[in-house]
Amino acid sequence: MGALTRYGLARLTVSQRYLPPVLLFLAVVVVLTTEPGGSLFARYAACAFAQFLSMAWLTVVVVNGEDPVERSVTVVAAGGARRVLLADVLAVGAVHAGLVVFGLLYPLHAGTGPAAAVAVGLVAQLTAGAAGISVGLPCSRLVVPRPGYAVLTALTLVLLMLLVPYPPAVNPTLRLLSHPADAGAVLGPLLVQAGGAAAMLACSITLTHAVARRRA
Amino acid sequence: MSRLGPDAGPAVAGEGPEASGQAGGVRLRDVRAGYPRRPAVLDGVDLDVPAGEATAVVGGNGSGKTTLLKLVAGLVRPARGTVTGRPAVVGYVPERFPSHQRMSALGYLRHLGRIRGLTTADADRRARALLERLALDGGGSTALRYLSKGNAQKVALAQALLVTPGLLVLDEPWSGLDVAAHGVLAELLDEVVGAGCAVLFTDHRLDVVRARAGRVHRLDGGRLVAAPDGALTTPARVEILPAGRGPGAGAPWASLPGVLSAQVGATVVLTVEQDRCDEVLLAVLRAGWSVRSVRRGAADPGAGSGGSPWAL
Repeated sequence: MGALTRYGLARLTVSQRYLPPVLLFLAVVVVLTTEPGGSLFARYAACAFAQFLSMAWLTVVVVNGEDPVERSVTVVAAGGARRVLLADVLAVGAVHAGLVVFGLLYPLHAGTGPAAAVAVGLVAQLTAGAAGISVGLPCSRLVVPRPGYAVLTALTLVLLMLLVPYPPAVNPTLRLLSHPADAGAVLGPLLVQAGGAAAMLACSITLTHAVARRRA
Repeated sequence: MSRLGPDAGPAVAGEGPEASGQAGGVRLRDVRAGYPRRPAVLDGVDLDVPAGEATAVVGGNGSGKTTLLKLVAGLVRPARGTVTGRPAVVGYVPERFPSHQRMSALGYLRHLGRIRGLTTADADRRARALLERLALDGGGSTALRYLSKGNAQKVALAQALLVTPGLLVLDEPWSGLDVAAHGVLAELLDEVVGAGCAVLFTDHRLDVVRARAGRVHRLDGGRLVAAPDGALTTPARVEILPAGRGPGAGAPWASLPGVLSAQVGATVVLTVEQDRCDEVLLAVLRAGWSVRSVRRGAADPGAGSGGSPWAL
């Protein structure tokens, strides 16, 4: 799995296709969190929003970076399509981890808060990242081969996740962070959302794998 | 092209992660495959791909050859029936290897080698040896996206042989390769077969299949049938030339039914299925061409190469 993930990261770096989603993240975070004032929660909410968009995009970039025929060669070499899919998710996760570090530290520049607030920021961003990957997978070529439909699917899913409180993850997380509250009181409900995002990611991987197998 | 020493060629018996599944081989029983709500691509297919032997499947365009190979390689699951005995290490060489990656050919092979469990050093050594044997144009530092069809095919072949496979599946491996690479491919196939690997490949040219494979099957209407005897007897070599009123040398002779291959030179030399020779001659004469000679035996597959490189 390590070699597969490394291959996924190498494809990203050599192709430089990681740049647009990563730049989107950095731009949103810098624009929305630089101005002094406002609560640290609100700034972390902006980071979580950026993580969601950027991870959804990056997931599509990683999966679609390989031509379908090329992917079938990788699948045979790796001994299964599921392993290749999981490695793609891990490669996105590796980039996500780097962005989480930036997303935790940069907002502190404009004003610090209690240590518990940083923990809230961490859980919120991990939740949003997992939700982003969950949205990205079914928008990849494995499920929606035509780029036009894929863009429409992505827009629909992203808007739904942002605006509708169900399924749990992004919308409730952003709501929790937008109301100034005690960090300790927020962390509990936030962990529930994180659990929801993890379950959604597992469902998304299973669904994508199942559809890709039927399509092969 | 340099033939490297035995320790440099990866496809040598006993070297590297073993060719597993040496007994048996892959068995397909009553296999049906296809897309939902469409007629089955394959139906009721029984096929044995024994270890230590090369098996070929011939068939026209769209006859289901590629689907059959994907089933055997494990890329497609059968809608019905069973595929058993697939070894742990499988090499798959698709018909085309389109890549838009900026990664170098050598870098790609290093990654694929690591995915197959090699160390970076081993993967690098095997990849270099294979690319040198296959004489990749521009060398291993060329980005995948800039490779021609034939050179991409060489990279696809190399990745399948980084570790000696227990099963090697190749989709029309001769298409796109230059004549020099044909010889290397034949050598490589002999080596993996010698190492106990089960080899399955497709081609639409019977002369190629007859020379390379121990067993030949024909796909017809989604069903596997024994290749007809007539198709496997020596083909005829028909030399023709335009007789004034006919079309030019660019006439699509190779697509004529019964024609296995066409070589265009000063004259056009067609290799023709023996039992369809009369039919082809009639078509040639009707097209306004003149028949110069008809002989037994295939036309030479490449300039200056006799039958020997093709002998199994």
